[in-house]
Amino acid sequence: MTAATATEVLVSSPVADLESDGLLGEFPEGPRLVGTTCDACGNTMIGTRIVCSDCVGTDVTRVALPTAGVLYTFTRLHVGAEGVRPLGYVDFDGDVRTLADLRETEDAPLMPGIRVALGVDGDAWWFAPEATDASIAPAATEATEASEEEK
Amino acid sequence: MSENVYVVSAAMVPFGKHRSSSYVGLAVPPLIDALRSAGVSKEDIDAVWVGHSYGGMMTGQRICKEIGLGTVPTVNVDNACSSGATAVHEAWEAISRGDIDVAVVIGVEKLTQFGGGTLPLSPEDREVKQGIVMPAVYAMRAMRYLHETEATPEDLALVSVKARKHGALNPFAQFRSEVTVDEVLAARPVADPLTLLMCCPTGDGASVVVLASEQARARLGVRGMRVAASILHSGQVAEGYRDMTAPEISKHSAHDAYEAAGIGPEDLDMIELHDAFSIAELVYYETFGLAERGRGIALIRDGRTTFGGDVVVNPSGGLLAKGHPVGASGVAQIAEAFWQLTGTAGDRQIEDARWAMTHVTGGGTAGLDHGACTIHLFEAA
Repeated sequence: MTAATATEVLVSSPVADLESDGLLGEFPEGPRLVGTTCDACGNTMIGTRIVCSDCVGTDVTRVALPTAGVLYTFTRLHVGAEGVRPLGYVDFDGDVRTLADLRETEDAPLMPGIRVALGVDGDAWWFAPEATDASIAPAATEATEASEEEK
Repeated sequence: MSENVYVVSAAMVPFGKHRSSSYVGLAVPPLIDALRSAGVSKEDIDAVWVGHSYGGMMTGQRICKEIGLGTVPTVNVDNACSSGATAVHEAWEAISRGDIDVAVVIGVEKLTQFGGGTLPLSPEDREVKQGIVMPAVYAMRAMRYLHETEATPEDLALVSVKARKHGALNPFAQFRSEVTVDEVLAARPVADPLTLLMCCPTGDGASVVVLASEQARARLGVRGMRVAASILHSGQVAEGYRDMTAPEISKHSAHDAYEAAGIGPEDLDMIELHDAFSIAELVYYETFGLAERGRGIALIRDGRTTFGGDVVVNPSGGLLAKGHPVGASGVAQIAEAFWQLTGTAGDRQIEDARWAMTHVTGGGTAGLDHGACTIHLFEAA
């Protein structure tokens, strides 16, 4: 090099990602799981993101994810907490998968491949077999008796 | 070891207390910026090394998946304060062997997760069990150095004053205000004779560099800087006497680095050295051959290691002012060298900078001078 220049390099900015850890967000249509869609390539991802994991684009938009999907697999967890905790992976309509707490009833037991719907009560959210008493429309203003008993 | 290796890109977040950012939140923005500034796409990357000490399992993979950078090897590297520079060393070695063409190196650390206090050391270590902490190690070095030489506490303070003066010019520095000798001496005592302002702060940060082979650099069409030497040494145990004012691990590493690059200390335009505590800088002047034993104080007293001097030591502000998020520091030093040697260092640009040295150690192990030491030499391309 021959001489000093006044060129300044870019100062990268950290992302305050610890402030946006929750997956549940408020949208005009009601509480929904939060996703992020890439403005450039349309890739949709679970949660709040700043960059597209496909095309590395940084123009992204916060979106409400669908309220229903297919239960890919699940388990009933007997360790780590009191009682039995059903837990599984739900594939939304569209190509986004999320880990989710699950609820089931004797009439509507969990099985891989069944359709499940989002239930929301305050900060709590879960998926349950679609069109059963264990599922609640997420925009609903009051929880059903059945779901209260489940909690 | 025949291929020339270049650093072709560098980026970082300002070091500081980023309490709302995770390891991912700290590292992803400079990762994106480093790739973009060199025109590197995900498909160009052959391997990733990630230096950190406290990020937990799979820190590198957690960062890289955010941009869909997978499949290729991702290696997490812990060598305490040398983690980031060790990661660069590993990347350099793989490229210089001809195994790969392009490597990404991330250094990242989040020390605010500990809520303050001294750096957590391994509870399995004998001296840690007895209560050793890093400020005590350096303070005992300082006490012996003051005993053996004509150095005074004012000399220790002068190092901090210079660091803060440099940091005030650096948008990436955690401390951007100057201090006086009196303020440094009057600061709260941490471990005699070191006061708070003679100790590096704790903080969070991330820095990213991209390394490339000669061919890859030509393909990318970027200038970069050449890696002239990359040396990694480990500490050797001493059960008895050790001269704590002449750290042999850094001396041997510097010797090997000079030999590999075919230069000497008189050729250096800048050094980013491991000034975790102000005593370290005086000791390293002597260790690196800038001054005779016990005469390091002349350099700081006469202003020969600041802008306009013989060699600018820690133009970034060093660990004392820029900050020291452990695993990030080694990479951040190399980012500073990159900006200086490519003429993009802004207000703190060293004119005609051609040769740079970066140096980090990693300590906190009983019986060792330091556990690890990494020295790099770079030449403007």
